[in-house]
Amino acid sequence: MRHVRGFDVARPLSIGILVLMMLPLVFLPLLSIFIFGTSNGLDKFWAALSAPEAIFALKLSMATSFWATVFNVLFGLFAAYVLSRYNFWGRNALIVTISLPTAIPTAVAGFALLLLWGPYGTLGRFLAPQGVQLMFTAGAIILANIFVTFPLAFGVIKPVFDTMSRSLEEASATIGATRWQTFFHVTLPSLRGAIVSGALLTFARAVGEFGSTILVSGNLAGRTQTAPLYIFAKFNEGQIEAANAIAIVLALFSFLIFSVLFFARDWLDVD
Amino acid sequence: MRAKEKLIEDLGEKQPRASVMQSAASVIGVSKRFGKTSILENISFDVAEGEALVLLGASGSGKTTILRIIAGLEQPYTGKVILHGKDVTELPARERGVGVIFQSYALFPKMTVEKNIGYGLRIRKRRRKEIKQTVNDLLSLVQLEEHRKKYPSQLSGGQQQRVAIARTLAYKPEVLLFDEPFGALDAQTRTHLRREIRALLRKVNVPAIFITHDQEEALELGDRVAVINKGHIEQIGTPFEIYNKPATEYVATFLGAANILDGVARNGLIEIGSAKLQGRLDPNNFRDGENVRVVFRPEDVTLSKSDFPPPGNVRIATARVAEITFVGAFERLRLLLDRPEDAVSEDDAYYLTTEVPERAKAASIIATRPKPEASATKLQIGDRVVIGLNSFTVLPAFPQKRDTKERN
Repeated sequence: MRHVRGFDVARPLSIGILVLMMLPLVFLPLLSIFIFGTSNGLDKFWAALSAPEAIFALKLSMATSFWATVFNVLFGLFAAYVLSRYNFWGRNALIVTISLPTAIPTAVAGFALLLLWGPYGTLGRFLAPQGVQLMFTAGAIILANIFVTFPLAFGVIKPVFDTMSRSLEEASATIGATRWQTFFHVTLPSLRGAIVSGALLTFARAVGEFGSTILVSGNLAGRTQTAPLYIFAKFNEGQIEAANAIAIVLALFSFLIFSVLFFARDWLDVD
Repeated sequence: MRAKEKLIEDLGEKQPRASVMQSAASVIGVSKRFGKTSILENISFDVAEGEALVLLGASGSGKTTILRIIAGLEQPYTGKVILHGKDVTELPARERGVGVIFQSYALFPKMTVEKNIGYGLRIRKRRRKEIKQTVNDLLSLVQLEEHRKKYPSQLSGGQQQRVAIARTLAYKPEVLLFDEPFGALDAQTRTHLRREIRALLRKVNVPAIFITHDQEEALELGDRVAVINKGHIEQIGTPFEIYNKPATEYVATFLGAANILDGVARNGLIEIGSAKLQGRLDPNNFRDGENVRVVFRPEDVTLSKSDFPPPGNVRIATARVAEITFVGAFERLRLLLDRPEDAVSEDDAYYLTTEVPERAKAASIIATRPKPEASATKLQIGDRVVIGLNSFTVLPAFPQKRDTKERN
């Protein structure tokens, strides 16, 4: 009796189970941010959001993530070019090393940066007497963001490079183009989709970074406090509304980025 | 060109040297190695203005490497590339001004047809008006005016190829290089495009070098054909010469079916078993008693039921029809040659022998007859016929026989 005139019971049943499983795991936690954050009225929510420290934290997060993204996309492009164009001894080792940062706990990453650049760090102790202090600044946050999002753009761009026909570049060369002209007119346009999605992924991941940032930034409100750190700090101080307002913004923001990644897929890989 | 080839033939040379007269493109003594492996050995040839030369060879013969060396995409180990009198061996690809039509066409996927065609002029910083004019002219030359705004992925294979050609013609290339231009197309489109390209080339009068492994394509496209085998040129000549007067056994077998019989040169004749071929043997080329190979095409074989072949044909032997296949426009027959008078047993009665026992295995002969002839003289399996040859080529029996034969 499983099939009644072509009706497959397994279909609604399995979909139902899937949704039920996701409900307590994903949907409800996200939903509660919104319910809780707006429970005292939109005015309160707005007030919490427009507190100077909150605005600063959001701005700092955006700025540090932006620069980390710029760097990692450029680096990813360059690394992908080198590693897919040239075959050399140690090539695979480099590919693995580039991908490594995603596998390292973010707290370990932050700790490692401190040990290197901190005032008593391996390199930092030579910089400190010169008055150069890298840690506990916005620069440190960018460094941490770069580290933890290192392979994301590279990972998206390299496969496109690998599958790109070598003869396109050769054709461009025989037509008379220099390497740079070939890169800008031929190679880059084919990488547009990969670059955009790589950048969005990197940015989304960087904005949410917590573990490494809290170690290297010093978590100084109004100076080196990013949005996730702000949530953590306000929560510790018992200011749930303040924490919640920023949480909503970050949640919406990642929603937006992933919607773009998902719905603009066709545009991103336009051929 | 003719006169020069004649001269070279008279001198008994197999390959033309870089000519004194100016050619559009010359490759002189080019060799190439990858590590210890030799890919090309001493390759030399000229292409005249407006001429189409086809490099014909099996895959792995090195023909693509020759093309890439001319284009500047690869460096030769030794030798020179001359384009219109200028030594370009040391120049990078972009400064050579050659047009390469890649097998995959390599059209830029994010550019429209007109952008693709205008690319060479844009990077040369030509005026917008001039670019537009040239692109328009080329679009009409390759008959793609209505597709100008399309992207390559929206075009058929043949259309893409025409865009690729127009894209190179835009900057007036020194020479056009076609890498297996019809490899990616189906048989029908292929024949059609072949004619189209031939006509187009005549119109633009740009010298062209084609690369192919397809002998039919080579014969149809080329003013001259160079047969490449294992990194060297086996023979270079007009399609007629290559097909009818193959210089080596490899050339004979690579360009279509060929029958090969072992014989011995004696007193200006060739003995194949008891048969004596009235050969046009040059005593300078063949010593008395030297082993030779007689090469002839299936269509050069005449079959007659009478004792003598038709006038103008040389009789070689009698044979028995062993197999008849109907292949569309013609009939193909496999014939087993009768052993001469000293036949002992029925089992080996159909082998033609020479004095050299180990060469006694002359294979069966393949003959083809066009339809009218086939219906005029009907033959059946088991019929006895006299085999005559319309034309044949005598080659020295090279020791590397096995080697070259395996390739086919």
